[in-house]
Amino acid sequence: MKNDTLVSFEGVVKRFGEFVAVQRMDFEIGKGEFLAIMGSSGCGKTTTLRMLAGLEAPSEGVIRLSGKPINDLPTWSRDTPMVWQSLALFPFLNVIENVEFALKMRGVGKAERRRKAEQWLDRMQITEFASRNISQLSGGQRQRVALARSLVVEPEILLLDEPLSALDAALKVRMQSVLKNLQRETGITFVYVTHSQSEAFSMADRVVIMSRGKIEQIGTPKEIYRTPRTRFVAGFLGSSNMFTGKVSGSDGGVVTLDTPAGALRLSAAGMPQPVAAGQTATLTVLDTKTDLAVTPPSGRVNTLPVRMIGEEFIGATATIYLETADGQEIRIQKSHEDLANLPLQIGQELVAHWSYEDGHLVMEE
Amino acid sequence: MRRSLTLYGLTFSLPLLIWQLLFFVFPLVFLVALSFWTVKNFRMQPDIDAVNWVTMYGRPLFWQAYGITFAMSAAAAALVSALAFPCSYAIAFKLSETGRRWAVFLMVIPFFTSYLVRVYSWQIFLSDAGIINVMLGWVGLGPYGLLNTVGATMIGYLTLTFPLVVLLQLFSLAFIDRTLIEAAHNLRCGRLRTVFAVIIPSARVGLVIAALFAFILSFGDFVSPIYLGGGDPTTLSILITDTTKSGQQWPRAAVIALTMIGTLMAVAFAAVRFAYKGRTK
Repeated sequence: MKNDTLVSFEGVVKRFGEFVAVQRMDFEIGKGEFLAIMGSSGCGKTTTLRMLAGLEAPSEGVIRLSGKPINDLPTWSRDTPMVWQSLALFPFLNVIENVEFALKMRGVGKAERRRKAEQWLDRMQITEFASRNISQLSGGQRQRVALARSLVVEPEILLLDEPLSALDAALKVRMQSVLKNLQRETGITFVYVTHSQSEAFSMADRVVIMSRGKIEQIGTPKEIYRTPRTRFVAGFLGSSNMFTGKVSGSDGGVVTLDTPAGALRLSAAGMPQPVAAGQTATLTVLDTKTDLAVTPPSGRVNTLPVRMIGEEFIGATATIYLETADGQEIRIQKSHEDLANLPLQIGQELVAHWSYEDGHLVMEE
Repeated sequence: MRRSLTLYGLTFSLPLLIWQLLFFVFPLVFLVALSFWTVKNFRMQPDIDAVNWVTMYGRPLFWQAYGITFAMSAAAAALVSALAFPCSYAIAFKLSETGRRWAVFLMVIPFFTSYLVRVYSWQIFLSDAGIINVMLGWVGLGPYGLLNTVGATMIGYLTLTFPLVVLLQLFSLAFIDRTLIEAAHNLRCGRLRTVFAVIIPSARVGLVIAALFAFILSFGDFVSPIYLGGGDPTTLSILITDTTKSGQQWPRAAVIALTMIGTLMAVAFAAVRFAYKGRTK
C-alpha cells in the first residue's frame, strides 16, 4: 500500500440475498483526490459509497481507511460524512442548527459550535439564512447547507451521492465549480457518485466506471475518454465509433481487423496485451478524430465509404450521422469550419477516414 | 379564490352539515341555554339566571373533581404515550412489511369488543377474589385491594386509549424519511440518541396528536372511574351523573359539561399549537 492512500477496497463483494450488487472490487483512493464513481442506475456505485460510509456491510473483503480495516465500524463511529441525493437536511432544525448537528454529537461546546458553524455558513455564503427554516431555502441554498453540515467537522473524506441531480442545468454547472474549488482549497478527499458523465469528467481527478457491479475502468478523465478499455466504456461514453471484427494479422506494429465494414488497421504500440490472429476485438475511434472527405485521401489506411443520413447543429460543433456500406451507423463531430467545403446533403456519398494512430483496440472478454 | 356552490357539491356536503347542525351545534346551544335555567320544586323552568354557574364554581368539591380529572387524564396521556412509543417504534422500524400489517391488525382487534365489556373483564382480574389475587395467593402473597383504586382507573384509561395511540404514533413514525435517520447516524449520532434527536422531533405532530386523543378520551370517560375506580375519587363525569340524580339539577350538570368542553377545546388548541411550533408549512 502506498503512503498517500486514504481508502482501499480489497476484494470487496456485496450481495443482497441472491443478487450480487458489487463484484470483487479492488481499488484505492488517494489522499486529497477527487474521485468520481460513475455508471448507470443499478451498477453498484451507490452501494459502494454506502459501504464506505458504513451504511452497508461488505459481504466479503476488507475496506481500509488510513490503513485500518473499518468493516465492523458502525457508521456513527466513522468519520465519513455523506451528502445525500435528497440532502437529508433535518426539517425540524433551522439552517445553523443543521450545521451544528455533527459538532453537538461530538460534544463540542455551545460557543465553539456556533463559531465553527458560522465560519462554514460564511464560507458557503449562506450566513444571511442562518435562522431560516430548511423549507424556506432554494435548491442551491439547501445544497450549500448540506455541504456545510458535512464539512463542519473537517473530515478527511467527504462522500457525495448524486448531490446535484435535483438542480436545474445552470445551477448544476455553478455548483460543480463550487464543489471543485472547495475540494481544492480544503484538500479533503471527495468521493463523488454520479450517473452524469459531464459532472464526473469536469470535476474528478480520476473516474471509476462501473457496470453491473463491476469496475470497467479506472483512470483520469482524459485517459478514459481517449482510450476506453472495454466495449462497455466506449459505448457508455458514446463519443467513439466502434467496429467489431476478427484480428486477421498483426505484424510490423500494425494490427489488421476484419470487420463487416471492411479491413481496418491500427497501431499495435501501446496496447495492453499482445493480440493474436483470430481474436474478436473492437476498434474504437473518437467521433472528433474521424474525418470526412469526398474522395479517399492519399496516405490514409483507414477509409470507409459512407452515406450521409442526418445532421445536428449544437453551438460551435456539428454532428454528422453516416451509414457504412453494411448498414452500421457512425458519426463525426467537427467544427463548422472543418465541414465548410463538403457537400453536406442527406444521401450524399462520402468517405470517412482516420489516422491509424487514433484507433484503439478493445479485446472481447 | 372564492368558489361558487354547486348542486353537486351540496349533494354530498349537505347531509353532514345538517347532521352537525342537528346533533352538535343545536345541543350545544341548548346546553348553554340550559345552564341558565332554574330548578324550583324539582322542576326545571326556562330562565336567565347565573345562579348555577355561581353555585358550581363556588363549590370546592367541583374544583377538586376538576383538578383530579385533569391530572388523571394528563397522567394517562403521558403514560400511554411513553408506553406506546417503544411499541410503535418497534412496529415501524424493526418489523418486516408483513409483520407490520399483522401488528396493525392486532391493534385494531380491541375495537371489535365494546369498551364496557373490556372494563368488566378487568374486574375479573382485579377484584379481591380475582385472577391476579388468586395467583398471588399461590405464592403466599395478598390479597391486595386492586379494584376501586386510582391505579385501576388508569388501567381502564390505558385499555381505552392504548391501541389508538399506538396506531396514531405508528402512522407518524412510518412517514419519517429513513435517510434522515441514516444522515444522523452518519453525523455520529448513536442509535438511542437518534431516537431523541431525530425520530421524536420528526414525528412530533403525530405524537402530540396521539397524546391529545388519549387526554380527550380519558377526560370525558365515565366507565373506568366508576367500574374500576369505584367512583372514588370523583371525576367530572361522575359528578355530572351525581348532579342530575340529586334533585333534577340538569342546569348545574350543564355547567359541568360546558366547563369540560371549554377545557378540551383549550387543551386541543394548545396541543396543536405546540405540535406545529416553529413550522411554517
